[in-house]
Amino acid sequence: MTRYGMVIDVDRCTGCFNCFLACRDEHAGNDHRPVSAAQPAGHSWIKVQELERGSFPKVKVSYVPVPCLQCTDAPCMRAATGGAMARRADGIVIIDPDKAIGQRDIVSACPYGAVFWNDVENLPQKCTFCAHLLDDGWTEPRCVEACPVQALVFGDLEDPTSDVARLIAQKPVEALAPVPAEPPPVRYLGLPTRFVAGEIVLGDGSEECAEGVSVSLRKGQQTFTISTDNYGDFEFLGLEADTEYVLSIEHAGYERFELHWNSSADPNIGTIVIERAG
Amino acid sequence: MDDTTVYRTTAWSAGPGCHGGCGQKLHVKNGKLVRIEGDENHPWNQGRSCPRVLAMTQYMYHPDRITRPLKRVGARGEGKFEPISWDEAYDTCEKRLNEIKRKYGAESAIFVQGTGRDIGGPITMLAYSYGSPNWVQLGLSGHSCYTPRLGAMKTVMGDFAVADCSQYLERRYEDPQWKVPEIIITWGQNSTMGCPDGFFGSWVVDCMKLGTRIIAVEPRNTWLSSRALHHLQLRPGTDGALALAMINVIIGEGLYDKEFVAKWVQGFDALRERAAQYPLDEVAKITEIPAQEIAAAARAFARAKQAAVQWGVPVDMCPDGTAVAHAITCLSVITGNIDKPGGQVIARPSHGVTSYPFSTEELVKLYGADLIARLNEKRIGADVYPMVKNFRGWAQPDMVIDQVESGVPYPVKAAWIQTANVVGGQSARAKFHLEALKKLEFIAVVDLFHNPTTMALADIILPAATFPEKDSIRSWWAPLISIKKRVQVGECKSDWEINFELAKRFNPEGMKRWKTLEDMFNERLAPSKMTVADLQQQGGFKMPEDGPFKPYFRHERGLLRPDGKPGFNTKSGKIEVYCDTFEGWGMDPLPFYTEPPQSERSTPELFKKYPLVMITGARSQLFFHAEHRQIPWLREKLPDPTVEIHPETAKKYAIYDGEWVYLENDMGRVKRKAKFSLQVKRHHVHTMHGWWMPEMEGKAPSLYGVGDFQINNIIPGPQCAKSGFGGGQYKTTLCTLAKISA
Ligand code: SF4
Ligand code: SF4
Ligand code: SF4
Repeated sequence: MTRYGMVIDVDRCTGCFNCFLACRDEHAGNDHRPVSAAQPAGHSWIKVQELERGSFPKVKVSYVPVPCLQCTDAPCMRAATGGAMARRADGIVIIDPDKAIGQRDIVSACPYGAVFWNDVENLPQKCTFCAHLLDDGWTEPRCVEACPVQALVFGDLEDPTSDVARLIAQKPVEALAPVPAEPPPVRYLGLPTRFVAGEIVLGDGSEECAEGVSVSLRKGQQTFTISTDNYGDFEFLGLEADTEYVLSIEHAGYERFELHWNSSADPNIGTIVIERAG
Repeated sequence: MDDTTVYRTTAWSAGPGCHGGCGQKLHVKNGKLVRIEGDENHPWNQGRSCPRVLAMTQYMYHPDRITRPLKRVGARGEGKFEPISWDEAYDTCEKRLNEIKRKYGAESAIFVQGTGRDIGGPITMLAYSYGSPNWVQLGLSGHSCYTPRLGAMKTVMGDFAVADCSQYLERRYEDPQWKVPEIIITWGQNSTMGCPDGFFGSWVVDCMKLGTRIIAVEPRNTWLSSRALHHLQLRPGTDGALALAMINVIIGEGLYDKEFVAKWVQGFDALRERAAQYPLDEVAKITEIPAQEIAAAARAFARAKQAAVQWGVPVDMCPDGTAVAHAITCLSVITGNIDKPGGQVIARPSHGVTSYPFSTEELVKLYGADLIARLNEKRIGADVYPMVKNFRGWAQPDMVIDQVESGVPYPVKAAWIQTANVVGGQSARAKFHLEALKKLEFIAVVDLFHNPTTMALADIILPAATFPEKDSIRSWWAPLISIKKRVQVGECKSDWEINFELAKRFNPEGMKRWKTLEDMFNERLAPSKMTVADLQQQGGFKMPEDGPFKPYFRHERGLLRPDGKPGFNTKSGKIEVYCDTFEGWGMDPLPFYTEPPQSERSTPELFKKYPLVMITGARSQLFFHAEHRQIPWLREKLPDPTVEIHPETAKKYAIYDGEWVYLENDMGRVKRKAKFSLQVKRHHVHTMHGWWMPEMEGKAPSLYGVGDFQINNIIPGPQCAKSGFGGGQYKTTLCTLAKISA
């Protein structure tokens, strides 16, 4: 039995909006009942969110595309009444365009903002994984086809040879926050996390970068240690939110450097100059 | 979709508006385009497209599209136009332009284009058939777009070169001849946001997936810089100093390619001495990049087995853009990356066919040496600037508009403006352009939609076709392409058709050997030994075969020079980093750095008053320059013209996120919506160019809000390049932020 899923590789997404446009082209003015009514202006069945993290000179810009995640345990379905929503055998969560009329609660029930209200039709609407195309023999939806960098990988989760199943088996895929108990069919690679990064310069006027300096990050009892690369840069990714961290730098012959902060915000670190001891 | 037919063609020009090159599949039903998708068989884009292509159906069948020729019936600016027949439109253009020629001379008519679309071919044909030497990207201060880079490459190396992302090989990344560039420097080029200069932006991402590391030379923080090995976050306009400092590190530390330099480079010692004048510490201060970061990037580039540079228009917009392009070219040269797999490969128009003339050589080939020499006599700027005179056939844009205003040394009386929104688009000191152009006796505009230029200036408007509605040929690098018409919208005609008809009227003798446009295309295709029909039979495109038009190592194999000897296509057969030709033209033979005309260093007093460096012109995939604001699917994602402000800077000015504000300097002020962003440094702001509001009143004085929103109202001219090419101040103008008081 086929069960459709998608892995979204955030690291690849350049924020080009091709997916949004392809979705619009597929659905605007095109009624695909029973799975969907035509998409009106203003709907983003796949949203491309721009995220900025860090501070000068280490700022990171990422784009996170968010379609309907086709949740395994879907809050939207619980909000629907009168059989307005159903999950197909292939896992796709469908809002029935006829039975869902007037059901605004479906919009507010989705924790990911994936459902949009159609004012004219009085109807909640969302991404259908292009079910009408899949039913027609297509192997992937329009947005996936249009992505120029293959950030969207689509396929059958049950088929271990599919790209999507292989990614899930081999890579650290995650669920979008708020993380549900059951992983949804749409999952992510490389979701932006808090990070701390900087570069170390030796304060003795030499021009060489401080390569091989030991940098440690402590959280409670846990300590992670890395060495700066040959440009004097270091970077710790995947910091937890709202946690106390201590960054310390040790290099033989130089003063020890220590910084305490709470990860509710990205720390402003930039270039750290370490001075000769003594 | 049973009754739908799928046709293949290539995108170039109106529609997406860009510099084109991608193969597209047109789904046509009952004579109408109903869907468009990238062509997976086309080696250029391998099935991909962009938002502007995906919105083509909205663009082509937009209710506001001009689909019949129009003549103005009220006063200029009143917005009163009436449909006329093509015959009447042609007759009027012919009659009015011939009157001008009789009264003032052919040079009194200027022929204006905008960005690098399929206009350069038809507009030179028209201008030269009429007899005017004044072909110009009017308003583009310093011709600061690609021409400075082209000029520097051609003069120093004898050829152009581009970053090798396997685009010359039909099998692309799978071809074993190709090597992944270890490093690509994206120099003033946010590759993911567009496809300029015959380069498909996603190629850079393709290479990254295969292991390429990026060095991003870029004042803003972008997706690309976030993933870069080095982000050289330079002060805008200081690219020349940066390039020279990198050369200095590479030579000083002996990291250059000694064998290549000994064999193929002329003037290396002079370059060494020049670069030594740009020590790291000093350049770190000039560019605001830490010295060790510059050194590290230079080392990484030089140590890479193969490395490439994918550069953009900010290079041209540096003061003395030609010299900056010269310096960056030297980086590829001294590291031996020229015409090497994964390096900087020599780029020639495919099969030796010219579709859009990039050099004097090509103009001579198309129009004859005599004509080109004769045109030099009256071409505006050719007597003043060495590069304008000696490279390509442009008139100098800043001088053209000054001459429109002054009438000295001869009057300018008419303009032919072809898909270029001069008033709402590229013109620095845009208001001055608007006022000066109003004085012209006759203005014909070829375009697809009304815009500030048609409203303010046009006497006749000719409706142009989009790419699915036109026939053309394209040889911008590779492959060689034939573009094939598949649908008709209203009475629209292609730029080629329009200009072919008028060129025949102006020069019946010279044009008579071509009965049809296709005859002419076939003649232009002759170097390829193919015709339009042959190309169509092959699927619409053909990659060059081994020889002068396909990499690699052509200098070693005697494929670059007309005499068939090994070497480069220069006088010495070597790459002339010390450029005798420049010297002969009275220019500096070596690259050098010039400080921007407005900056903390050059104008400290002005900087106190206007402490923010205004960067304009970063791209989005949603709009191309001044276009697409009326396309609902695209505008929905970027409804307002924003200015990106660092949150701490915004706090200083007491501006909140989303507030409408003014960007202001001594030239005036322009409205923008504040967008807090970490993408800009604290003392920079960035705003997109090309904004006008199709939904606002078109009649003067509103002209679709161009007075309020055209950022170039506060960008000064004239240009500031000694060569005549480069130095539009689009990325270095100083400004401040002001609240809009209620
Ligand atoms: S993402 Fe939202 S709309 Fe989609 S299934 Fe989950 S809760 Fe429902
Ligand atoms: S799967 Fe189809 S409906 Fe869903 S976002 Fe992609 S294109 Fe739109
Ligand atoms: S098409 Fe791909 S790269 Fe572009 S925004 Fe969508 S997911 Fe990102």
